[in-house]
Amino acid sequence: MATTPVPGAAPVRASRMNPWVLAAGLAVVVPLLAILVLNLGRDPHSVRSPLIGRPAPAFSLPPVGGGAPISLESLRGRPVVINFWATWCVPCFEEHAALTAAARTFREAQFLGVVYEDEELKTQAFLAERGSSYPSLMDADGRTAIAFGVFGVPETFFIDGSGRIVEKYVGPMDRRTIAELIARAKGGAP
Amino acid sequence: MIPALGRTLILLALLAASGGALVGFATGARPTALGWLWARRLAYAFAAFMALANVVMEYALLSHDFSVSYVAHVGSRSVPTWVSMVSLWSSLEGSILFWGLVMGVYVAVATWQNRDKHPEYMPYAVGVWLACGAFFSFLLAGPAQPFATVPSPAMDGPGPNALLQNHYLMVIHPPFLYSGYVGMTIPFGLACAALLVGRLGHDFIRPLRNFLLLPWIFLTVAIVLGGWWAYEVLGWGGYWAWDPVENASFLPWLTATAALHSALLVERKGVLKGWTVTLVIGTYLLTILGTFMTRSGVFNSVHSFTQSAIGPTILLFLAAALIFSVVLLTLRVDTLVPDGTLETGPSRDAVFLVQNLLFVLFTFTVLLGTVFPLVVEAARGVQMSVGRPYFDRMSVPIGVALLFVMGVGPALPWGRATGQQVRSALLPPLLTAAAFAIVGLALEVRNSWTLLALFFGGFTAQVTISEILLPVRQRMRAHGEGFLEAFGQARRRGQRRFGAYIVHAGALLAIVAIGVSSTMGTSKEIQLRQGESTTLGAYALTFVNAERVSEPHRQSARARMDISKNGRPIGSLYPSMNQYESQREPIGTPAVRTSLTEDLYLSIHNIDVDARSVGLLVLVNPMVGWIWIATAIMALGGLVALVPSWRGASVSVAAREPIVAASPEGSG
Repeated sequence: MATTPVPGAAPVRASRMNPWVLAAGLAVVVPLLAILVLNLGRDPHSVRSPLIGRPAPAFSLPPVGGGAPISLESLRGRPVVINFWATWCVPCFEEHAALTAAARTFREAQFLGVVYEDEELKTQAFLAERGSSYPSLMDADGRTAIAFGVFGVPETFFIDGSGRIVEKYVGPMDRRTIAELIARAKGGAP
Repeated sequence: MIPALGRTLILLALLAASGGALVGFATGARPTALGWLWARRLAYAFAAFMALANVVMEYALLSHDFSVSYVAHVGSRSVPTWVSMVSLWSSLEGSILFWGLVMGVYVAVATWQNRDKHPEYMPYAVGVWLACGAFFSFLLAGPAQPFATVPSPAMDGPGPNALLQNHYLMVIHPPFLYSGYVGMTIPFGLACAALLVGRLGHDFIRPLRNFLLLPWIFLTVAIVLGGWWAYEVLGWGGYWAWDPVENASFLPWLTATAALHSALLVERKGVLKGWTVTLVIGTYLLTILGTFMTRSGVFNSVHSFTQSAIGPTILLFLAAALIFSVVLLTLRVDTLVPDGTLETGPSRDAVFLVQNLLFVLFTFTVLLGTVFPLVVEAARGVQMSVGRPYFDRMSVPIGVALLFVMGVGPALPWGRATGQQVRSALLPPLLTAAAFAIVGLALEVRNSWTLLALFFGGFTAQVTISEILLPVRQRMRAHGEGFLEAFGQARRRGQRRFGAYIVHAGALLAIVAIGVSSTMGTSKEIQLRQGESTTLGAYALTFVNAERVSEPHRQSARARMDISKNGRPIGSLYPSMNQYESQREPIGTPAVRTSLTEDLYLSIHNIDVDARSVGLLVLVNPMVGWIWIATAIMALGGLVALVPSWRGASVSVAAREPIVAASPEGSG
């Protein structure tokens, strides 16, 4: 049975083009493909916060372990990367190495950590164990996180030299994304 | 070793599929027995290599071989064995591999079933299936490689997505969804073959319909399982939110349902051939669009498109499939000449047409709502979402209209009906319709759409039941059989029809239950301290205590709520809030008490174990349980309709020797 001969060739009818089918098909397919292609580069993690394009909220916060407060004002003129994080947040471990390395590589940008709903002692232990190349600040009453509209950690804000927020990124960062967004923050500098 | 073995199997599958696709198309154009033999062999080979690759991956997952990149990505020594097993579809790369397995099984079964039937069509069909198979093999060989070698493997891995372990529905939902999605490849290939051959004969519409019905059953169940999961796990109290992931599975379901009905017109009247083929092709394209929109089909992967080549590759395939389909339809749809004329007067035929148009309207409505946010963002750079109001406003009238059509169609006879026939068909069901509406009014249904749904639900219920009983009554009268005897005989003789009406019964129950549950529910948000109580409707709830529960992969805070209904205690519910190790936000797990009339649904907003306070969302959702029951009825009806035609198909093979293209239309 498996080798039953296939009887005579299929009757191939002359093809007539149906212009209506073509028009309807193109009317659906072309816009659909255009939309999908245009959205391909979109990254669902870069969330459009209403703060984007606006001046970043001002703050002046003490570093973890004590010391003189650091204010955003004092960092004008260069891109600033502000990473909201906590020791209880697993994705924050994941991105910690990438952020530490990036802060060493991109010397033109100032990296800052802002500790979100966490205790100073735990934070100190975390940084001692895993190392850090940039200051982390204590936001004891959570006011800075509220001003930035932080929804959960990690969230990272990219600020240009004039103090405007260029981009907000939700979730753990990797090296490539950090590089791309710093480049954008630099492009936005006056 | 294992990674290399896996990669070799994927490459062999790719070779078999691409070779088989070429052989299939060549044999379709210039039929030879040898070509058809090799097309089949390569189809089986593709299925075998895909199956073996899946076996190898399962072995790697179970033996914790972290030198395999996918195992390194999702495996963990600390999870139970069953979790390791189902990790195959817990993440993007593995789910594409699993997709290949499902596809292989479908292709092998469809090829085997038709190995000595439909000789003109089958080589083309196998060619199309294997072309699709070649694409997915390519995806696995390159962009989504699950078998990449990890140079210095770790001792342990992170384990799969925590949500997978949160609820058993998350484990069984993906296989159903894939079986629905992937299965649409088979009718797609058959429809393309009909276009390429230039004929859609009476004999060929049956395999097309059957292979559409099988994945349709899976897709129906998958959609509702997804909703059920959302209801039991997500804690906002509903089962359907019109989000893109849900819409992605709903869109092909709509076109497939339309095609199942128009195929009946092809079969009975020889009309709407081009239209049916277009719906089948559209269904497949929508499954690919859905795959693209949701990445893996189920999980919103943490890794976005920008970081992998999988998105662009699927998009390229989608573009190729869209262009191929439009060109094929443009050039060949006119070759499918009708064998009859479409009755447009009052008749069952005309109602079928209306039904089809309603389904297509529904499809475009949902598609527009799904992609509109993308249009706005591309054009204006503003993020927005269309949200429920649009979908609800559009889908409620269409759903009610479909409910009505589902009653009117079967009530009317095939072919043009006389005024007298129309009256005698449509007037009696109005009685049950009115009864349903009155019961609704008595139960304080005030929403006019829900009342309409009840009215038409009653109408359709009477028509459906009398259509199921019609042949039984005829037999009782003609043969003097008792009811059970006549019922059994009638079922056996008209099982396809019987199955179809069971599906209708399930569908009407589902629509009514959706209408009632979404308009008749009550809810309340409340903050309680330990010992405090609240009431909602007949229920009284007391917050007894809150406790912490520690499990290996999660920390939970759980509230014990004692429930009484009409003053009688009926037990305790334990809604909880879970913090998973790998998850950023805590996930609430609602507690649901289901009964046939209504669900009591408790979901935690906030809980403080130390301060002994809990914030709760309390809902009473009527008739939600009936949606799940209705789906089971629909799936059962589908199976009832499918099984005899399959058995019949294999019988007719034996009966129809020798195998010559013996279609009644001939080859003119």
